[in-house]
Formats: sequence, structure tokens, C-alpha cells
Amino acid sequence: MLEFELTVNGERYPVRAEPRKLLCDVLREDCRLTGTHVGCEHGVCGACTVLVDGKPSRACLIYAVQMQGHELTTIEAVAKEGKLSPLQQALHEVHGLQCGFCTAGIVMTFEAYLKENPRPSEAEVREVLSGNLCRCTGYHNIVKAIIRVANEGRDAKA
Amino acid sequence: MRRPKLRHIGAALPRKEDLRFLTGHGRYVEDIEIPGALHACFVRSPYPHAKIKSIKTDESRKLEGVVAVYTGKDLAQWTTPLRMAPPIEGLHPVEMTTLPIDKVRFHGDPVACVIATSRYLAEDAAERVEVDYEPLPAVANLEQALLENAVKVDASLPSNLVSIQRFKTGDPEARKREAFKVIESAFHQGRMTHLPIETRGLAAVWDEGRQHLTVHIGNQVPHPYRSQVAARMRLSESQVTIASPDVGGGFGQKIALYREELTVCAASRQLKRPVRWREDRMENLMAASHAREDSVRTRAAVTKEGRLLGLELEILEDFGAYCFYPANYLARVVAMILTGPYKLRDYAFEVKVALTNKCGNGPMRAPMAITSWVIEGTMDAIARELGLDPLEVRRLNMVETRELPYTMPTGEVIADITPRETLEAAVKAIDYAGFRKRQAAARKEGRHLGLGLCSVVESTTYGSKFYKAAGIPGSGHEAAWLRIEPSGAVNASVGLGATGQGYETAFAQVVADGLGVEPSQVRMQMGNTDVAPYGMGSRGARGGTAGGTAIFLAAREANEKVLAIAAQMLGFDSAEGLHLVDGRVEREILGERVKTDLTLAQVARTAYLDPTALPKGMAPGLDFSKTYDPPPMTYSNAAHACEVELDAETGALKILRYVVAEDCGTVLNPFVVEGQQHGAIAMGLSGALLEHMRYDEHGNNITGSLADYLVATSTDLPGFEVIPMHTPSRGNPVGIKGMAEGGVMGAIGVIACAVNDALSPFGVVADRQPLSPDYLRSLLRQT
Repeated sequence: MLEFELTVNGERYPVRAEPRKLLCDVLREDCRLTGTHVGCEHGVCGACTVLVDGKPSRACLIYAVQMQGHELTTIEAVAKEGKLSPLQQALHEVHGLQCGFCTAGIVMTFEAYLKENPRPSEAEVREVLSGNLCRCTGYHNIVKAIIRVANEGRDAKA
Repeated sequence: MRRPKLRHIGAALPRKEDLRFLTGHGRYVEDIEIPGALHACFVRSPYPHAKIKSIKTDESRKLEGVVAVYTGKDLAQWTTPLRMAPPIEGLHPVEMTTLPIDKVRFHGDPVACVIATSRYLAEDAAERVEVDYEPLPAVANLEQALLENAVKVDASLPSNLVSIQRFKTGDPEARKREAFKVIESAFHQGRMTHLPIETRGLAAVWDEGRQHLTVHIGNQVPHPYRSQVAARMRLSESQVTIASPDVGGGFGQKIALYREELTVCAASRQLKRPVRWREDRMENLMAASHAREDSVRTRAAVTKEGRLLGLELEILEDFGAYCFYPANYLARVVAMILTGPYKLRDYAFEVKVALTNKCGNGPMRAPMAITSWVIEGTMDAIARELGLDPLEVRRLNMVETRELPYTMPTGEVIADITPRETLEAAVKAIDYAGFRKRQAAARKEGRHLGLGLCSVVESTTYGSKFYKAAGIPGSGHEAAWLRIEPSGAVNASVGLGATGQGYETAFAQVVADGLGVEPSQVRMQMGNTDVAPYGMGSRGARGGTAGGTAIFLAAREANEKVLAIAAQMLGFDSAEGLHLVDGRVEREILGERVKTDLTLAQVARTAYLDPTALPKGMAPGLDFSKTYDPPPMTYSNAAHACEVELDAETGALKILRYVVAEDCGTVLNPFVVEGQQHGAIAMGLSGALLEHMRYDEHGNNITGSLADYLVATSTDLPGFEVIPMHTPSRGNPVGIKGMAEGGVMGAIGVIACAVNDALSPFGVVADRQPLSPDYLRSLLRQT
């Protein structure tokens, strides 16, 4: 067992865990942040995507102990004071989620992506989204929501 | 029954469920914290078929954190076997123990269960369980299964052919003799799995004091599941609670009581401690439940003009090693509804289902998915063989609106459907005529475009009469309750199990119209068997028709009582002319609606807290329960059209356009309906293009990861153009027809038709799915 500290969503969490314990499991069990979901544990489905120093990363492919000194962000920190982010709001308004299990991973992926690429084309959105599996929606409305956010950003700047 | 004006049903209301999912506050089974819970891990067979000679657990038990290791022999003391023996002609009864005792039947079969203080430690200890196997020859495919001296997957059966059913009506033999031509077609669908992004899992909590088992599990059918758990644990149904929280997708995989789940329940009772289990993705792929894998043939007797005179169908299905459902359950429906919107009198089918040494099959979103491909592929074969336009062949054979209701050769009755209307709308939207010109021009440039058409008649909702006629035990009814609390708050429930369909929103809209309140005032309480009424759960596409109608009837009854009380409170002799609108009583005077001061909250307060002020003889409270048994079968319909481009050099396919025109009756919430349509089409396309659960020739599963079992990502799928053409059903008071599986049926059929259209200059026909690049290249290499 190792004792270490993680910084998640700006808060410090003391953790006592085996070195082999995955980041996704520590976030869910030790930090009690269960919004990060585990879908495949081999880095394919993208459900467990969190931000490590602002960059989307698979929490099932990282040992928690490796994350000391890094800033972690999870789905719980995306809505601020009960107000959905523009991406979350768009997903709600165009029915971009059904069972909701993959949703956190998609939100985290695109919260980061849209910061760096605020005006993606549909093809670019689909390319990035291909790292997240969704079995319910057929992706159509997820793509629509992301494009809507990008367009809203454009309109706001115009 | 008086039907109120629909104000909320049909409104595009964003879902109530979304907020918790979007912010990471959903509660899926793994999110439920249970202090002191132990973790289970299963030891699984590395062999497709082997005798279990011995299981040594000592080394495993010695490890830190290990609390127990159980085998099939232990479980046999605490649980009863599953016997599958419905009285269906041609179906052999089968039985399975909770865990195998003498032999394993597929690669991944569970043989022992380790219980430890953490999932990590349980996995460590599972590796220390020593099982001595004596490998047996395995039945790896249908061909091997049906050999004369085949090894038997289930020693209790006379052969691997677990079910065979034949049917004949009219004289298909005579039609073949009279026919201008008899056209044969074949269709092979690969083995698949449901792949919910949330794998299976549960937490079983035995309460020794109350002698009560609570099972937290994502499940589509909480009450029938409870009946199973109770019976097999030898408990009464009052000793078991199933609490199904948010569920990360089901698609048919979360219906049956699986052996791992029963083992975890028994372990909790035995240890008097909570025990939980979450399978990993490899287990989910190899050992949860598989689906499909059918080989189908049709022989169509036709006139020179392409009119269908007679049809013969043969289905052979690979059901895997274990029957969690009657083995004929899935394939027989295909045979029953095969002809869909097409006219036919002389018809015969033979449906055979065989056991093999693979994971057992179950219903996957649209268990009858292959139906539309088979009949539409047959239509295309007729056109191809006779040099006719495939659209004209469809038009020639399709039932006319004036001929409805139409009785299919199997006796199934289609009514209130619009196949001609949806077909013509899809044809127009995709510009069928213009396409042929573009296709010809593209071919000159060496580009291979293809266009497919696929009409779908979807059997959505099975009433009890259908089950009875099919010999399947069970019912097709659904149950609902509605309670208006003393404050006027409205709680309601149905016995369905949500897995992403937005019931909390859509049914709130139904209650809103049935009762006369705002959808925001209604809270749906679902998924817990102590709270919800005993219903048949979510399977097929029955939620809207069966569940929606049940809750509507409860709401209408509530409305009647509320207005009777309101009349008394307002000093009227009767409730005639009174309406409840958004929680306020209105009075109709000479066709004009006039608001009164009376609200639902005031009526509720009277009903609960001032019963002496109620109309004479009326019982206090506002508490309503209703059940509803839908007609034997409810159908909806759609037409799919799809344009593809095939790269003849690589076999790669690109979907250029995808159109679907659909009639699913009264729409409860267009967001939900369109979302279901997208999702169903996506699952169909994913299966038709990519998904393939593969076993090698010895029966070893070689698809144990998502790098091997491919599913569609956002770059594999097109955007979808949906044309809503809904007309209400007359079969139920709200006019619902149901939907959510037809998209799978249509997608599987339309993509195959489009690919074969693109392949037509090469003189080859794709009759196998998935339509992978290597398969399409192998066809092109033959030319």
C-alpha cells in the first residue's frame, strides 16, 4: 500500500492504495467521484476519459500513483454552480445522450478539444469522437450538439 | 373512452434524465457504495469443451483477503437449476445448474467463484484456482453440430438439434411447379454481442435479520427477474427486492438471470455479507450473451413479371451452449413475420436451432433483425434474376392500403400500417430516378455506387394472446400506478426497466395529458420492485404501447376521480364540462373554457385530509392502479433507403446517404423517437459492417477485446435523415405503435441491398455479413 495525494478538480485527496490501482478505480472508490465510468479497461471505449493537466486521458490506462503532482479534472467539475457548460447544455437540448454511461467521457474529450479547436468541421468532430464508443445514439445527435456549440462560439465572437 | 386533447404527448421536451447524466451524478450499479461489500471474480474455462475432473481451491483460499471460493457443487446445494421446458412442439427441454459441475461447454464458461475483500485481490486469487480439465472435441459451428456422429454439447439431448419447427400453408410445391422461375437466395448473419458500454454487474445484499435479499442490478425486467431470483434461491417473492438504478445500456443483454448473478446472490446469503461483481470487458465479450448467427435460405416462386406466388424459408440458427431462453424463441419470430408488407398465400418454413460450444445466445435489439434483409434481399434477387427494377418488384408485391388489415400466411394480421406511403417517401427523398443516372455516370469513371431500399414491418408489442398462441409462458401485459399525494405532487410508475429510453420524460408527458397536469409535476418512480407494480419489463419495443397505455389508463381514472371531487367542491351536480388543465380545474360553458379557482392541490388535500367533504360513498385518497394487455401484436413500419460507394480496389464501403421514413403511430416525444431510430440504425449498420464474434475451428473465442470485436465509431456511420410520417394506431387509446427495433432490421437489410446494387456490374452477390472489406474483396477477386 502506498500513501499519496491527488489533486482532482482543484481539491486535494489523500489516497491509500496499491501501486497497481488504476486511476479510474481510485477516482471512483477513494475520491468517491463516480461520474467517471469504466467501460472496457483496455483503453478503447473512452468512457473513463478525464483531463490530466487539461489533456484528455484514459483513466483506465494510468496508475493513480503516477498522477501525483498533476492536475486532474473529472466530469463533476464541468458544470459550475449548477450551471451546465455550453457543451452539456447542447447535448441536453439536442438529445445527445441516452443511457448516459459514455457521456462523461465524451464531455471531457470535447471540453478539452473545443478549447484548442473552437471551430471544427463535422469531419473533424467525427474523427475526434471516434475515440469514444456510444452504443445508444448512433453519434448523430452528439455530433450535432458539438457543432452547435462550435457555431454558438463563432456567433458570440462575430 | 373519452380521449383528452393532447397537449404534452408529442412535444419535443428535452429529457429529465439528462441533468444527472451530464454532470456525473447518475447512479449506475457500480456507483452505489455499499460498506463492507466483498468482490467476486469468476474462474473461467480456457477450453471450449472439457470434463471437469477436479477443482483445487486451497492455494487460492490462502491468499490475503480471500473469504471464500465456491464451485458448482457448492452452488447446487443453495440454488435450483434452470429448467427450460415450455410446451412447444419440436423443442427439447434443457436444464442447467448454477455453475457447471461435470463439464464446461464453452471458452469462458464459469467454473468457480472467488470472493475477496477487493476486486484486485479476487482476481489474484482466481488465478490460483487449479482446475483439472479433460478436453473434449468441440462443436465449433453449425456444420459440425449437425454431423451424424457429432459430439453432443448437451448430453441429455438426442442430438445438437435442440429445436425444429415446420409450418406450411397453401401449396408452395404447386406454386413452384407453376412458376415462371424459382429463385433461391441465401443470407448468413454473423455472431454478435450486445455490447452495452456498462458491462454486467450487481451488488447482492443479504439481510440476515429480515431474511431478505436486495439485489442492485441494472436490469430491463425487474419483476420477472425477481421471480427468477426468488425461485432459484428458494425464497419467496416477498424476500427479494430488485433495485435497478440507472443502466448503462441493455439491448437485450440485461434480461436473463445469469449464472454469475445467481452465484453472487447465493454467496451473499451464505456469507451474510454484501457481495458485488462487475465483469470486465473480456468476460462481457466472451461469456455474457451472444446473438444472431443465422443461416437462411429462401426459394421464391415467381411470375415473369416478378409477382411472388409461393415462398419457402429455411432458418438454421447457432444458439451456443446454453439456453437462457427457449431455443426457438428468436428464429421463429423471423419465420412468423417474414413477409412483412408483401402479399403471399402459399408459404412454408422450417426453423432449426442447434447447440454449439459457444456462449449461449439471447435476444439482442431486434431478435428478428434478419427478417427485413431476407425478404428484401429476396425481392432484389427476383429483380436481378428477371432483369426487373427492384423498386417495381416491391411495388408489385406490396399490400395496398385498401387491402388492410391483411392476414399474413402465418395468420399474423397487419393493420394500421403505411408501407406504400413510407416506401414512396423514401424513394422520393433519395431521388431514386436521379440516382440511376448518377450511378451510370460514376461507373464510367470507375466508381461504384449502390442504392438499397428496405421496407420494415416491425413487430413491436406482443400481447398475451400472441404468447399463448406461440406456446411461450408469460404475458404481454404491463402494469402502472399513479398517486396524487396530499400536496398535489404526482408520482407514477410502470413495471418497465429503463436503459436509456427516456421513460421518465416520455411517460411524464403521457401522465400530463391523461391527468391534466404539467409534465414537470410528474415524477416517474421506476426500477425498484418494492415500488413499481409487477410488469413484464422492457424488451422488444413494448415500452410505449404497453407501458404508455397502462399509465395513460391510470391517469384517466385519476382524472375522473379528481373531477368528481372538484364538482362537489364547486357545488355542481356532476363533473360534466369540467376539465383539469395543467393542474387547474376549468369549466366548459357553451364551448368556452373558463378557469375556476380550484387546483389539483386543493382537490388532493380534500381527498386525503378532509374525506367527509368528498362525494357520498367515495373512498378517501387518490391512488390508482391499472394493467393493460395490448392486442396480440402491434406493428409499426418504415422504409429505409441508403446510398453507398464501394471501393472495388480495397473493398471499403462508404455510406453516402441514409434516409428513413417512419410511421410509429402517436409519438410520445419526438426527441426520444428520433434518438431510438438513430440508435437502432447504428446498431444495425455496426452489425452489418463490422461486428463479428469469432471462434476458431476448435471453438476458441478469438474476439476477447474491443480491438478484435469491432463496433461502429462516429467515423463509420453517416448522419441520418429521418422523415416522420406517423399515423395513429386504432389498437390502443393513445394510438401508439411502438418502435426502436425496426431501425436495426432496416439497416441490416438496406445496406446489403445497397452493396449488392454496387456489386451488380461484377456479377457477384454478397450473402454474408459482416460486409467487411476483406469479404467484399474476396467476392471481387472471384470476378
